[in-house]
Formats: sequence, C-alpha cells, structure tokens
Amino acid sequence: MFSFDPYSPAVDADPFPFYKTLRDEHPCFWSPEADMWVLSRYTDIVTALNDWQTYSSASGNLMTELPNRAGSTLGTSDPPRHDRLRGLVQHAFLRRNLEALAEPMRAIAREAVGEIKDAKEFDFIGDFSSKFTVRVLFAALGLPLGDEQTVRDKAVLMVQSDPKTRAKGPEHIAAYNWMREYAAGVIAERRKNPQNDLISHFSMAEIDGDRLDEMEVLLTTTTLIMAGIESLGGFMSMFALNMADFPEARRQLAANPELIADAVEESLRFNTSAQRFRRRLQKDVTLHGQTMKAGDFVCLAYGSGNRDERQFANPDVYDITRKPKGHLGFGGGVHACLGSAIARIAIKIAFEEFFKVIPEFHRVEADLPWMPSSTFRSPLRLVLARG
Amino acid sequence: MSKVTFIEPSGTAVDIEVADGWSLMQAATSNGVDGMEAECSGSCACATCHCYVESHEELLTAPAENELAMLDNVAAERRPNSRLACQIKMSDALDGIVVRLPATQV
Repeated sequence: MFSFDPYSPAVDADPFPFYKTLRDEHPCFWSPEADMWVLSRYTDIVTALNDWQTYSSASGNLMTELPNRAGSTLGTSDPPRHDRLRGLVQHAFLRRNLEALAEPMRAIAREAVGEIKDAKEFDFIGDFSSKFTVRVLFAALGLPLGDEQTVRDKAVLMVQSDPKTRAKGPEHIAAYNWMREYAAGVIAERRKNPQNDLISHFSMAEIDGDRLDEMEVLLTTTTLIMAGIESLGGFMSMFALNMADFPEARRQLAANPELIADAVEESLRFNTSAQRFRRRLQKDVTLHGQTMKAGDFVCLAYGSGNRDERQFANPDVYDITRKPKGHLGFGGGVHACLGSAIARIAIKIAFEEFFKVIPEFHRVEADLPWMPSSTFRSPLRLVLARG
Repeated sequence: MSKVTFIEPSGTAVDIEVADGWSLMQAATSNGVDGMEAECSGSCACATCHCYVESHEELLTAPAENELAMLDNVAAERRPNSRLACQIKMSDALDGIVVRLPATQV
C-alpha cells in the first residue's frame, strides 16, 4: 500500500521515487500523514497556482505553518490584499533596482571564498554559503552587523518541523518568535532613523495613502529574513551538490561562467529547495476521479511537477542546456517568489567567485544529513574536498 | 478555451489554448513563452510583462490607472498598443488574439 508522508526522513532524503508513483498512479492523492491532498503533475499544479480563488493561500502556505502567521504575509494572503502588499514591496526587488547590490555581493563572495581558499576540505554550508547569504541579506536589508550567526541559526531552525510530532516543535516556534522580536527591533530602529534600505522603505511605504499595518510590516520582514537566509542558502547548497555530482557540468561552468545562469535554471527544475507548498480549497474540486472538499488543504509538490515527463523530456537527467521555461523552482502564479531576481543575481555572483578559487571539488559524504522539513529540501551539511 | 498567438522577440509565433479568466501573462509564463519576465507575477507592480496587442484591441477593456502608471516604466518602446499582459484576461471574445513581445523587459 503506497503512502506519502512529507514528514518522513525518507522523503527528506529522496522524494523523487515517491513523486513518480504519485504522478503515475495517484495524481490526486490523500495523505493521511500530512492530512492533505497532494497534487504532483505539472499541469495540475500550474492550474492550482493560477486559480487563487479556488486554491487559497490565506490559511497558510508552508506545509507546516507557523502560529499566527497566515494572513499577514505575502505568501499567506490572497488578492486583492496580496497584490497591495506585493505592490508595496515589489519595487525593491525588481531586477533593475538590484544592480547596486552586485558589487557589494561580489565583495562578500570573494571574502567568503577567501576564507576557505587553503582548505583541503570544507563544509560548503557552514564555511561558505551561510556566510555569504547572511552577509548579502544584511547588506540588502540594511541590518545592523553583529548578530549574523544567531540570525542565520534562527532562520534555519524556523523552517524545520519535528519529524515525530509532525508539527513545529518548541525550538522551531521559539526561533520564529525570536525572529519576530528581532524584526520588530530593526523596524523600530529604521522608523526612528530611516536609511536608504529596504526595511526603511517598506515600513514607511505608501501607495495612494495606503500603508502596511504593523503586523504586515513585522511578519513580512520576518519572512524576508527567513527566505533571504534559509531559502537562498538552501538552494545554493543544492546547486553546489549538483556541481559536485555532475563534474562535466561543473567544468563547463568553471571554464565559461556565462553558463551559470542556465545551470541555475536547470537546478531550480531538477531539485529546487522549495519542494512543497500548500493551499486550501475554497470550493469542492473533482480531479482524477477524486473529490476534494472545500476547506481541505492541498499540497502542491513543485519538486514533482518539475520532474513530470508529461512536461519535461527526460526529467531525471540534469542537463544544463535544457533551459527549462516554466519550471516551478520558484513556485508560480501570483505567489511566485518575490526574491527570484535577487536570488538569481546572488547565486550567479557567488559561484563566479567560488569557481575562480575552487574549480575542482567532490563530495565527501555519500549520504547527506537532510534537513527535517515538510516544505523545503536541502542538506544540513555538505562537506566538499578539493580536487 | 480560446487561442492566443504570442510572437516572441525572435519572431517565432507560438499558439496557446488558454482557459477563460487566465491573463495573457499567466498563459505565456505557464507555457514557457520567450520575452515574458513578469517579475511581480501579476500584481501590476513591475512592468516586465509588457506586450504589444496586434489584434482585437478594440475589444479590450481600457487600461486602468495603475496599469497606465506602470506602463510609464516599460523597458522597450512604449507604443499606442502597449499593454501589461497581466491585466488582460482571456475570454471567448478574444479568441485568436495576437500579441507581440518586446525585445527587452528589464
């Protein structure tokens, strides 16, 4: 009897065989362990993403939601409230407005890779990507230096869930509460002394006299910090993993950094860190012979849609020449990732600098310690050795 | 379902069957059409789903004030038939619409 439990370590480690069975045999699957439906085919996921009236985000979008978060962030609200929030913060995230960050990002990447240039072996995450992402985020958001390590640790903890209780544990909720307090402090400081940075801008942003309310500013800032550190870092570690596992691709990229952008898109398709998000049905929907009821939660398994052979030929092959348009690596529909432009720029710069110093490397551990998370997938540690 | 023809920046025409109620932007991004960025995913906040409407223009609802304001920010030349694809919803009446995508969105 087939089961799909997004809380199981087996799914954390390798969800792809489960996804294949889901797509082929149970395209509209009820998971008692997750207490929700699972949609796994590309077309079904895209249809759901483009129908927010039916598939609502207002009851939360993380598979295991944090307390009192739903409704006050971009990812957990529906239009028209969502569009209003997004309109207020989007400006800072447009590609044309991010160019000023490119040089600071490059300096951060150089510094971070410089710290491991003589190491024979290093943890890509602890020794490089977490330093890079936290420093980039601090630069982008104008956060005061000094707390970087703690902020990073809390951001990573708050996206996890307890595999035994299938819920957020006290340590995850404590991390989330810590982050809210931290964000509240930064917002208060920026309101008192506005700077030319994102938090200053959007905590006071106004469109036609409309401002974000306190909870929206607070929880949106909290989410931006979480996404900026954890999501960017998680994806960078998946990209590094692919570069270790596919040496041919890595050598092409090291020789021709122009190809990094295509490899990033293929990695977003092949094994994006944003594996599963959820929605809640606003009306009954019948799909593949199953009737899902209004009020039911639905998991949209982006990672599965990205491997759907109905959409992508030879989906289990990592092919940097594929140029996979329409992949779900950043989600889709109105909630497609706000940070996609900054993430693409940051990853490209990070790896341009990384390959200059460390063009040849391989994985040390065959089995990786995977983060326990029902939503995201990335390793907790990725030890790489030179050569 | 209604048909939309996107003309990509390269000149390639791509025909897509689109469900009623979907925006032209959704149709293009969900089908991997070249020349569509849609950074804000349809919130009318980025001007990177700029398109030139080449047919059925008389059947479209006129752009709202927020779309007109955002059209001031398009990267390619703004023309009389410039629109944001996220603000045009497909319907039977628009069956066969032809939309050209500009060479640049950013």
